[in-house]
Amino acid sequence: MFVILVYDTAVERNPKVLKTCRKYLHWTQRSVFQGELSTAQYRALITALRTTIDPDYDSIVTYTTRSPDMIDTTTLGVALGGPGDIL
Amino acid sequence: MPAAGRTYWLTEPCRIRREDNSIRVERPDGSPVRIPITDIRDLIAFDHVDVNTSAMSMLSRNGVTLHILDHYGNHAGHFSPAESVASAAVIRRQVEITADPDRRTAIGRALVLAAAENLRWALDTDLLDPALQSLRTDLPDCKDDDAIMGQEGNFRRTAWAVLDTQLPPWLRLNGRTRRPPTNAGNAFISYLNALVYARVLTALRSTPLHPAIGFLHSDTDRRRNTLALDLAEPFKPLFAERLLKRTAHQRALKPTDFETDVGRASLSTNGRKKIAALVREELSTTVHHRTLKRKVSYEELIHLEALKLVRLCLEDTPYKPFHPWW
Repeated sequence: MFVILVYDTAVERNPKVLKTCRKYLHWTQRSVFQGELSTAQYRALITALRTTIDPDYDSIVTYTTRSPDMIDTTTLGVALGGPGDIL
Repeated sequence: MPAAGRTYWLTEPCRIRREDNSIRVERPDGSPVRIPITDIRDLIAFDHVDVNTSAMSMLSRNGVTLHILDHYGNHAGHFSPAESVASAAVIRRQVEITADPDRRTAIGRALVLAAAENLRWALDTDLLDPALQSLRTDLPDCKDDDAIMGQEGNFRRTAWAVLDTQLPPWLRLNGRTRRPPTNAGNAFISYLNALVYARVLTALRSTPLHPAIGFLHSDTDRRRNTLALDLAEPFKPLFAERLLKRTAHQRALKPTDFETDVGRASLSTNGRKKIAALVREELSTTVHHRTLKRKVSYEELIHLEALKLVRLCLEDTPYKPFHPWW
C-alpha cells in the first residue's frame, strides 16, 4: 500500500518519531513522509510510533491507498523529497 | 522477491552508512539521502562506494544484496545476506540433477536454444533464421557442455554481425570483445550483461537454489555463480541487445556517454546514469502473464524463472526456459 504519514508531535519527541519513520518511509517534507509498505510493515511502523508518542498531546495521521498511481500530487515551490532511486 | 522494495542504483561515488537503523547514502555533492531500509531490495554500485561493517550487517539483516560492478561494468562481486531460505531438499535435488550428464546437457541445450530464439526475437529479422536452423539441427548432437557452448558461440557471432547492420557505425560491435570491451557497443553489452547477471542473482537469492551449481557453464568458469550465468542467458537478448538496438534508434546515447580509449571503452558517469534509468524502466515494464492471469514486470519474470527451477527440483516439473510470448 502507499502511505502518506503526517505527524505533529511535541518538540522533544520529534527526533524519535522522525527516526522511526525514516526506517520505513521516504522523507518528503518537514513532518511528512510517504512510501510503499506491505501491510506487515505498516503495522510494525504504527506499533513503533504508538509506543513513542504521548497519546494525550501528539497526533499522527496516515493516509493509505492501494498504490501511488491513485494519487495526483502537485508541488509548488521547492521539492524537498529525495532524488529517487538512481543516486 | 520481497513484496515491497526497490532497487537502488548508485551511479556516483558515495558512502553507505547506517543511521537510526536505516541507511544513509552520502554523496560528494548535496545533502545525504536517507533510504528506508524496508524499501531496499538491492543496491547496485556502479562507482566507488564506501561501506562499513555496521551498514553491511544492517543490509544483511534486512535481506539486501549489494552488487558491485567494476569500471568496465563487469560484475566484480556482491555482498549477500547470510542464507535464510536455505533448503537441503532443494539443494540436494539440484546437485543430483546437475550431476546427471543427460539431464544436465538437456537443460543446457534448452537454455542455449531459448537464448538463441530470444535473440532472434529481439533483433526481429529473418537474417538469423538460417543460423537458428543450423543451431537446431546441431544442438541435439552436442554431448557435453563445451560442445553446447561452442554452438552457442557460433550462433552469437552470427547474431552480433546481424545486430551490427542495425546500428549506427559508432555503436557497432565489430566482433565481441570483453575484459575490457574495446568499443562503445561492446561496453554497452558488457554493462547490460553484468546488470542482468546481478538481477538473476538477486532473484536466485530469494529461492533456496544454490547459485553456483549450474547446468550449462562449466563449474570452473572464473568461479562465478554458474546457475546465475545459465539463467541470465535467455534474458540477455531481452535487455542487452534489445536496449542497444532501441537506444540506437532513439538516439538516446551519444558518443560522449562513453569514455573511449585506444583498445578499450567504458561508460562515462553520465552514460551510467542514463543506462541505469533505461534498465530500471525496462525492468518495470509489465506484460500479461497467461498462466498467472495478471500483469508481471520483467523483473518478476526473472524471479518466476528461478521458481521454475525450484519446481524442477522439488516436483520434477520439466523446465522450459523463458521465451517472450508478446
